Amino acid sequence: MAKKVVAIIKLAIDAGKATPAPPIGPALGQHGVNIMMFCKEYNAKTADKAGFVIPVEISVYEDRSFTFILKTPPASVLIRKAAGIEKGSGEPNKVKVGSITTAQLKEIAETKMPDLNANDIEAAMKIVGGTARNMGITIAD
Amino acid sequence: MVFWRAEQLGCRGTSNQFKGNSAIIAAYLPQEQAKLLDLAAFALWLRQDSLSLNLTEPQVAWKLIDEEDWSSSWKDHWEPQEIGDLFLVCPAWIEPQGQENRTLLKLDPGVAFGTGGHPTTQLCLEALEMRLDGTPTDAKIADIGCGSGILSIGAMLLGAKEAHAVDIDPLAVKAAKANRDLNDISGDQLNIYQGSLDSLVNDLNGPVDGFFCNILAEVIVEMIPEMEKISQPQTWGILSGILLEQAKPIADLLEHHDWIIATLWRRQEWCCFNIRRS
Repeated sequence: MAKKVVAIIKLAIDAGKATPAPPIGPALGQHGVNIMMFCKEYNAKTADKAGFVIPVEISVYEDRSFTFILKTPPASVLIRKAAGIEKGSGEPNKVKVGSITTAQLKEIAETKMPDLNANDIEAAMKIVGGTARNMGITIAD
Repeated sequence: MVFWRAEQLGCRGTSNQFKGNSAIIAAYLPQEQAKLLDLAAFALWLRQDSLSLNLTEPQVAWKLIDEEDWSSSWKDHWEPQEIGDLFLVCPAWIEPQGQENRTLLKLDPGVAFGTGGHPTTQLCLEALEMRLDGTPTDAKIADIGCGSGILSIGAMLLGAKEAHAVDIDPLAVKAAKANRDLNDISGDQLNIYQGSLDSLVNDLNGPVDGFFCNILAEVIVEMIPEMEKISQPQTWGILSGILLEQAKPIADLLEHHDWIIATLWRRQEWCCFNIRRS
């Protein structure tokens, strides 16, 4: 019989840099998960994605064992990296802080595709493009 | 909606625990960002959200989490565990019963890696049983990235004469030393200190008979060219912390550096290389 899930934990962690420090320690420790075991597994599976925040969704079972699914980096982080800027605009409709090319937009949409509610790459590009515009970043042709 | 609100507040993690038809959502905010007004506004937003969606009004509360709570809470669920044919890994605070035929390895890992619960640690201990069987030997062992010290302590318990264990994490070194004492092994027999493979190369007087390296594939790849510096023709090695998908490039690199892969064991998605020089 399948084990019963008692908690689902969502964390945003720098790839390859999970440590027992907050928020990982409190989030996992309070549910009885072996913190260092999670850190080792997360770091092993994200070491090749250094520099990105890789969100993770952890299912904790009643015997305190766990499994986890890695998500794609947040679209805003990928857009900021592509545009080469530190942060988005506080007034995106008035102040533009950077731009990305359509090719970059497509690349980000392809990366995000597994986590987006989109049927094809064009739909994914529209979603990511909307995020970019909300950050004050224009799409250059 | 709750998760989005928490993210907007600056929370760096959330957890969702189910209780009957309800859910307890915990969101973790760094203490320095926790301003009372912001928290009150957060609670207000959640109440407004529930009203607008015609849902039951949520109960919102916040508290400062004591570090002690989380660093040790998982230990409540940690039980003695038989590993391989010989070992019984037992939490330091539990008295084992009815397994006298096994080699008792007492452990309190603190915040260091290595409880015996992870497939890589289990594979390393089982591989060690191929090399040492409990009969005293003259074997000299190195443990690179020792964590809690579980592997080098295991080697000493299975008859190694001396071991040298290093880790770059001072907390791991502290935990490993405490575990050495727990298992009645002296500092002369098992030398533990903060360092890396380079430190071992500089500090060891001559090669070792065997070594462990249970870290991560990326780190092991960097170490493979250096491993010959602590090796002799009869030296064996146990390498783990490697995902199956990472095994091929590591195998190629080992062979390129004249290591023979005796066995490659797998458990779940992890693998363990048993290698020898000749």
